[in-house]
Amino acid sequence: MSASDLPRKEANVLKGHEGAVLAARFNGDGNYCLSCGKDRTIRLWNPHRGIQIKTYKSHGREVRDVHCTSDNSKLVSCGGDRQIFYWDVSTGRVIRKFRGHDSEVNAVKFNEYSSVVVSAGYDQSLRAWDCRSHSTEPIQIIDAFSDSVMSVCLTKTEIIGGSVDGTVRTFDIRIGREISDDLGQPVNCISLSNDGNCILAGCLDSTIRLLDRSTGELLQEYKGHTCKSFKMDCCLTNTDAHVTGGSEDGFIYFWDLVDASVISSFRVHTSVVTSVSYHPKDNCMITASVDGTIRVWKT
Amino acid sequence: MDSDEEDFVFYGTPVEREEGIASRKKKAIAESSGNLRSLPSWKQEVRDEEGRRRFHGAFTGGFSAGYYNTAGSKEGWTPQSFTSSRKNRAEVKQQNILNFLDEDEKAELEGRSLAASSQFDTFGFTAAELARKQAEKEQQSRPSAIPGPVPDEIVLPATDSVGMNLLKKMGWRYGHSLKDSHSSSLYEARREARKAFLAFTSDEAKPELSTSEPTEDGLENLLEQPSESETKPSKSTPVYVLDPKQDLHGLGYDPYKDAPEFREKKRQHTSGGREHGQRRPFSSRDNLFGFKSKNMAPGFGIGALEELDAEDEDVYGSGYDFEETLIEEAEEPSKVGIEVQDSRPRLTGKEHGILPGFRLASNSDYQLERFDPPVIPKDFEPRHKFPGPLESNSRLSDPPPLEVPPPEDSNLKVLIEGVATLVARCGKLFEDLSREKNQSNQLYSFLIGGNFHDYYVRKLWEERQKSNQTKLSLEGKESSVPRMTAESRGRILGERPLERSMVTPTSTDAPADVKFPTNLVDTFTKSEVFSELLEVSKPFKDNPAKQERFEQFLKEKYRGGLRSTDSGGASYMSESARARERLDFEAAAEAIEKARLAKESTPFSQRFTEFSAGGMQFTSAGVEEVKPIQTEELTKKIVPKREEFQWRPSPILCKRFDLIDPYMGKPPPAPRIRSKLDSLFFVPDSFKASGTEEKVTSRRDASTVPQSDNQESKNVVEEEPEVHVEIENVERPVDLYK
Repeated sequence: MSASDLPRKEANVLKGHEGAVLAARFNGDGNYCLSCGKDRTIRLWNPHRGIQIKTYKSHGREVRDVHCTSDNSKLVSCGGDRQIFYWDVSTGRVIRKFRGHDSEVNAVKFNEYSSVVVSAGYDQSLRAWDCRSHSTEPIQIIDAFSDSVMSVCLTKTEIIGGSVDGTVRTFDIRIGREISDDLGQPVNCISLSNDGNCILAGCLDSTIRLLDRSTGELLQEYKGHTCKSFKMDCCLTNTDAHVTGGSEDGFIYFWDLVDASVISSFRVHTSVVTSVSYHPKDNCMITASVDGTIRVWKT
Repeated sequence: MDSDEEDFVFYGTPVEREEGIASRKKKAIAESSGNLRSLPSWKQEVRDEEGRRRFHGAFTGGFSAGYYNTAGSKEGWTPQSFTSSRKNRAEVKQQNILNFLDEDEKAELEGRSLAASSQFDTFGFTAAELARKQAEKEQQSRPSAIPGPVPDEIVLPATDSVGMNLLKKMGWRYGHSLKDSHSSSLYEARREARKAFLAFTSDEAKPELSTSEPTEDGLENLLEQPSESETKPSKSTPVYVLDPKQDLHGLGYDPYKDAPEFREKKRQHTSGGREHGQRRPFSSRDNLFGFKSKNMAPGFGIGALEELDAEDEDVYGSGYDFEETLIEEAEEPSKVGIEVQDSRPRLTGKEHGILPGFRLASNSDYQLERFDPPVIPKDFEPRHKFPGPLESNSRLSDPPPLEVPPPEDSNLKVLIEGVATLVARCGKLFEDLSREKNQSNQLYSFLIGGNFHDYYVRKLWEERQKSNQTKLSLEGKESSVPRMTAESRGRILGERPLERSMVTPTSTDAPADVKFPTNLVDTFTKSEVFSELLEVSKPFKDNPAKQERFEQFLKEKYRGGLRSTDSGGASYMSESARARERLDFEAAAEAIEKARLAKESTPFSQRFTEFSAGGMQFTSAGVEEVKPIQTEELTKKIVPKREEFQWRPSPILCKRFDLIDPYMGKPPPAPRIRSKLDSLFFVPDSFKASGTEEKVTSRRDASTVPQSDNQESKNVVEEEPEVHVEIENVERPVDLYK
């Protein structure tokens, strides 16, 4: 993919959130997207047509993260009310509430089979919740971290968490081991490369770092943006050719994966870009911002 | 043994065993609970295990009682007035607030009932009411004159006396004095009028009043003085002055109620303002707050019913009273501008300083004379310099005058000595001056050549000698310091002159002394290590100048002591270049040192070449590029530290992730704080389970390394069945899905 294929044209603006949008995520096939924000709602959009489909209201405080199952039937969301809500997408009802985090919940993800929800909390723990049983107790508490866990990623066999204590910890269920990679800088967001071999870790020293998962080696550092005080996302493009991430000044940056040069950077929002999500197949991207809008970008 | 026991003698009552008390308590409880059940519910009392009545706590009402702890009657709480039967229905009563108040609350409320205070009771209605009440009370207390129940309503106490009524008929009205002393009545009336007037007026006074006011003031003052000495005139009821309300206070509110002295001040302000027909901008503010506290917090008013307390004061305010100064400032220009035409400053300028009956003259003959300070010329130096020379050294050689006995008069002696000292200090000119000045003065005759001239001359000589000596000593110090150089001192002490340092002092500003220690060290000791190093290794052979600098650097490094400022750098080099070179030298020295420490088994030069071949180049060109990259790579490699720990996923998590539990069949998860022995047993298992050779030994697993033989053998024994378990596990996934 060449640099010209980067999604630089604004296709749609999704307006509806009152207040900051904290996360925006494509669903599994990229036809829909979910967003959540400070207005305590979760919204389901069709980003390609620019319409809002549904609003999910139940959270008592801001919603920090949302994730959708691969079959698009369930949602999971978490937020400032220390609860994790397990939603039915079509009815918009809460199926289950998972309580147990001692503090705000920063991130939440389904596993591959949508049977387990793993949440990352400010209480320095990762918790795994069972969606199959009716139990509301966590089936696993991982409290190896020494500071707020900001982000969580799941593979088929691993749970990966990034924390403010500067570590990215991989918990391999298959072999029962924990691998800790200390980056020395608070980790804001982690995201897996599409091939699953690398972790992209956005750090609070305005640097995004690319780690090799098998060896723990630092492959590259991406700099130029500002990321010092907000929880912000970064991700790889669908072809793993570029790294993209927002900046606190409303810009978005595209770096070349290999030589870490800034290929493109342009203003997408008037305020902090909190979240970026790249379409799983197409050259399409959504960005969410504190200014309350979600923008859809295409080539 | 038995006989021993028999010998014991017990005194007193034995202390009861704890169990005995406890059992008794239990029994008591059982009894009481049995009682409790048999009693009717309202008689039941809740008791604790000690058998005491239970105490509720302060807010829930003391001991718990029967009736389920309700109001204390079988029916519970019922209103006092409530009676109801089939015939006699409870009637609806008009209730007011008094029905719901306790006695003490009522008493409290009575004190607060609204009524006009006597001060504002212009027509005496409230007084009348009070009198009536008082009479009523008295009537109730004393035996009635008319026996039998007399309705009090019929006999009303007379508030207006007969005389008052008569007076009214005669034309007397409220507020008029009965005394016929004209002056005092006039005074009273005026006083009251003024009081009322001032209470209601603020600065917005009518212009027609302003003209008459000053004269009235004067008249009042006149009248006030004599009336004070007289006996007090009979109290007359206050005059009600019909006056439009013109201020911002609430109705009937007197801001000077508690501070009458400020009323006077206010009056002066207002009258002063009125004289000029000018409005003073701060007066209303002054009325409201100025009299109360100087430092009240701005922006926070107090209610009409509140008292101004210390807590209302502005603790953050500065100590200055802004109100006062502001008023003064506002007043001053107006007075100066209108009343006082000439710019002469007012001395006191206040009307209250004037005698009664007099007025302040509009123009006075007395003019304060003012003198400007003398103009100092620009070239004036505030230091007196006598033009005459301080004849000092020239006269030193002169023969000293003869010793003369001092005069008998001690005063004269002191004078002479003083003059002599002064002249000696200030020079001949002072003598001339004083001589000129005191020509006629008999006392100073010694200057001209009269009595005791000789003594003066002698004293003068002595003084000069003294001052010259001190001066000489000072001068001597000054001159000796620069002359005594290091060389000369060395010569004096017989030191051997030092060898010149290898490095010529390149930077001019570096003082020579700074380099002194290194040179000194050079002369006394020669480090064989260092010389050896230099002989063997010449890392900058291609650049002799640099090599020299490097040698110098090494010398300093191994010698310690003070570093010269320009150590190992040529003057033509920039600061950064020098710093870089210094880094080179450091690295090279380090390498050399390491090589030396590694032992002299291999020739040093060989080592060094090895080292230099290893990638580090100490050429001036190469270093700049190579170095930063190396350091960066170093940090990069260091930053992501990888550690590996053991982690046990819960079986259900493994199940949900569709994975085989790596710890399946192992003992249940160990608690957080694992004992050392436990970890010893676990670790090898995990290695087995992972099926991979241990690449990285983690910190946690490091504890396994020191193992006694005994334990190891145990592990071996335990590992054998473990393998079997693994094999079993592999076969078992079918089970998991069931």
